[in-house]
Amino acid sequence: MSTITQKVCLLGDFNVGKTSLVRRFIEDQFSDRYLSTVGVKVSRKSVKVRTATEIHQLNLLLWDLEGNTKFKSITPSYLKGASGSIIVADLSRTDTLQNLRQHLELFLSINPQGQATIALNKADLIPPEKLAQLLENYQSQDFPGVLGVYPTSAKTGDRVEEIFQELAAALAS
Amino acid sequence: MNSDFANLPDLINNKNLEQMAENSKTPDMTTIEEVQGIETEKATPEDLADAVNSLIPLIVGLLEFKLDNSREGILQTVRPVLDRLIEERSREDLPKMAAAIAKILPEAIEAEIKLNPQAIAKAIAPEIALSIKEQILLDASAISQTLGPEMGKAIKTQIELEKDAMVDALYPVIGSTIAKYMVEVVQDINSRVEKTLSFEGIKRKFQAKIQGVSEAELIFKESIGYRVRAIFLIDKDSGLVIQEIQIPGEKQGEKQLDSDMLAGMLTAIRSFANDCIASGSELGAIDYGDWQIPLEVAGYCYLAVIVAGEPPREFITRIRRVLGEIVMEHNEAIQNFNGNVDAVPVAIKTKLEQLTESKQQKSPKSSAPLLLWLLIFLLGLVLVPWGIGNYRARVAHHIEQSTALQLDAAPELSVYRLDPTVKQGKLIIKGRVPDQYLRDRAQTIVQDIADQNQLQMDNQIVAVNVPASPSLITGEMQRLTQLFNQQPQVSIQTSYQPQTLTIQGLVLDESTRQTIGKAFKQIPGVEQVVFNLDQQLPIVKQRIYFKSGSAELDFVDNISKINAIKSILQQHPQLSLRLVVHSDDIGSAVINQRLGQKRCQSVKTALVARGIQANRLITNCNLLFSAKNKDNSQGTWLKRYVSFEPLISPNLSE
Repeated sequence: MSTITQKVCLLGDFNVGKTSLVRRFIEDQFSDRYLSTVGVKVSRKSVKVRTATEIHQLNLLLWDLEGNTKFKSITPSYLKGASGSIIVADLSRTDTLQNLRQHLELFLSINPQGQATIALNKADLIPPEKLAQLLENYQSQDFPGVLGVYPTSAKTGDRVEEIFQELAAALAS
Repeated sequence: MNSDFANLPDLINNKNLEQMAENSKTPDMTTIEEVQGIETEKATPEDLADAVNSLIPLIVGLLEFKLDNSREGILQTVRPVLDRLIEERSREDLPKMAAAIAKILPEAIEAEIKLNPQAIAKAIAPEIALSIKEQILLDASAISQTLGPEMGKAIKTQIELEKDAMVDALYPVIGSTIAKYMVEVVQDINSRVEKTLSFEGIKRKFQAKIQGVSEAELIFKESIGYRVRAIFLIDKDSGLVIQEIQIPGEKQGEKQLDSDMLAGMLTAIRSFANDCIASGSELGAIDYGDWQIPLEVAGYCYLAVIVAGEPPREFITRIRRVLGEIVMEHNEAIQNFNGNVDAVPVAIKTKLEQLTESKQQKSPKSSAPLLLWLLIFLLGLVLVPWGIGNYRARVAHHIEQSTALQLDAAPELSVYRLDPTVKQGKLIIKGRVPDQYLRDRAQTIVQDIADQNQLQMDNQIVAVNVPASPSLITGEMQRLTQLFNQQPQVSIQTSYQPQTLTIQGLVLDESTRQTIGKAFKQIPGVEQVVFNLDQQLPIVKQRIYFKSGSAELDFVDNISKINAIKSILQQHPQLSLRLVVHSDDIGSAVINQRLGQKRCQSVKTALVARGIQANRLITNCNLLFSAKNKDNSQGTWLKRYVSFEPLISPNLSE
């Protein structure tokens, strides 16, 4: 069993829930208080990935980047050397959904071999019927080079573990 | 001529014959069509091929013949169809065609380059960049291997051709590199210069000499107040740890550092600094509490060394060297690092371990001889000068003794204490003598000894004025006083206070006065002569009158006059008075003479009775007639008197 360390970036507009997703994934906790991330916060979590032949120990170094605002774009050098990324949008804010493509392009331009997945966060705020509609609009085939699009909720923990696991599996293979 | 060989190309390339014929509609092809028409009616393609094959030797022969005769003609014939033929053929069977052309291609290109190099260059130019790119994709190292050796020369040439452009291009890189380097060098020099003259600096110099090592090494040893806590080789972009070494201290509770998180944060900080603060420069070190984290970047990685305390400059240099070696040898492995630490070459770790070796402290074994040497050195430092000093002192003492003896041998100097000393190549003689003569006498004696011993002579003898004995002075003074008083115009008295001689009395002549002054000044012990002299004799106006025919002195009448005379004589003790008798012309001269004698005697008696010494009164009592006073209007009594004439008495003091 080999241990591999990989860098994973979380990027997206401000206040979409990047830090909350990381916190839910690592500590299984959630807080309603909004604290804007300044610069970058690095966290780590080890995950086990089972492939056809063996079990990999994967050390995920999660770079929780400062959210993108009108005034300040993401520092591209933070993205360098990342093997994977989770691009996060807020289902309740349309503009953040529209910016997904831009973030994805930025990530892939810096890491052409990188794996990306999309988290549509705050799914708990959206009524189920509207959620289905929204998900239809943002299918994974609309985003070339993306592993999948997941409606997540850092608050309830829904699909959070899954999205990280799937990314880890892609990184291990 | 044309018609003879018009169909030759078709025959050579017989397989293409049918298509060629069908496709071509040009007038040149009429003959081909004819030939084809004839052949196709009678035979299958196989037959045709056979027929042609059998014809080939003949055709070749013909061609050769024709070529020999008329090359131009052949070329003109073949040229119009050749390109079409090639095109057709390559469409049908590309590999074969390629193989056929390939053989001549290098030579063809070579020839064309010779003939028309610019055209070739033009043709190839647009594709060169692309082809290099392709080649890099195929074999990454091939291009660099090819170009590598030439790069140096190319840069050199470019510098020769366009120096300024190269400078401009490299300036942003080299500028900051040099700046960084220079800052370090200057700091280094600064600190060295500051410490050079300190106690440690001097001590270090001695140690360096004794131990035979460089001073720099000692500086390094001295400043070893640091400890390497951890070393991380980190991927520059991703911030993933490529290799790490941790050395937890002996202190309780010092845990393993979370290398992944630390590396991530350091990388984030570096990226931030590079992006926001100063693009083009690098973050050199991070100070964090007790820790210093020097960061050294090279290639695709950087090295972060976590050091507790203050790492010396040499250590930073060592970090730089080690990183340089790692990058030189394992750059590819580092570049391809995928997060799998196991795949990283072990050699990297070995290299990194060089940084953890702290310099050995001096072992007690080596310090023992060192101490011994120090002791010997110190003893030597004390004993050698002592020995030399001792020997010199002995020699000096000998010279001093002989000098003292020589000085003693001179009788006039033997009473004086003269101390000869030898010091710093000088024979110094100290002491006091009463006069310059004795000083010079000592000088001659000592100078001889100094010359014999090759020493300089320093005569510090002081000629002092010894106060002469008062008795001697007074004796001499009295002798001179007497001598001068024998002169008729002189009557002096002298008194002596230490160094000052006072002369009182009468000296009537100025030149005599000067002579007297000089004479007294020559007495040893007399520094100053004070004159208190009168240059004129006092005038005595008093006259004592007598009655006619009487020699009796009216005491009551004349008491005031007598007192006045007395006081004059008291004022001028050197003065004598000659008594002069004046007489009227009444009576005979003989009577007047006798009367005058009596009067003179009675004045003298009166004066002596008032306490005046008799010897101060000269009474030869010569009579003087007051011949001048012929007129008798004032009465004769005015002519009968005794007057006084002051004079200096030579033998008064006796």
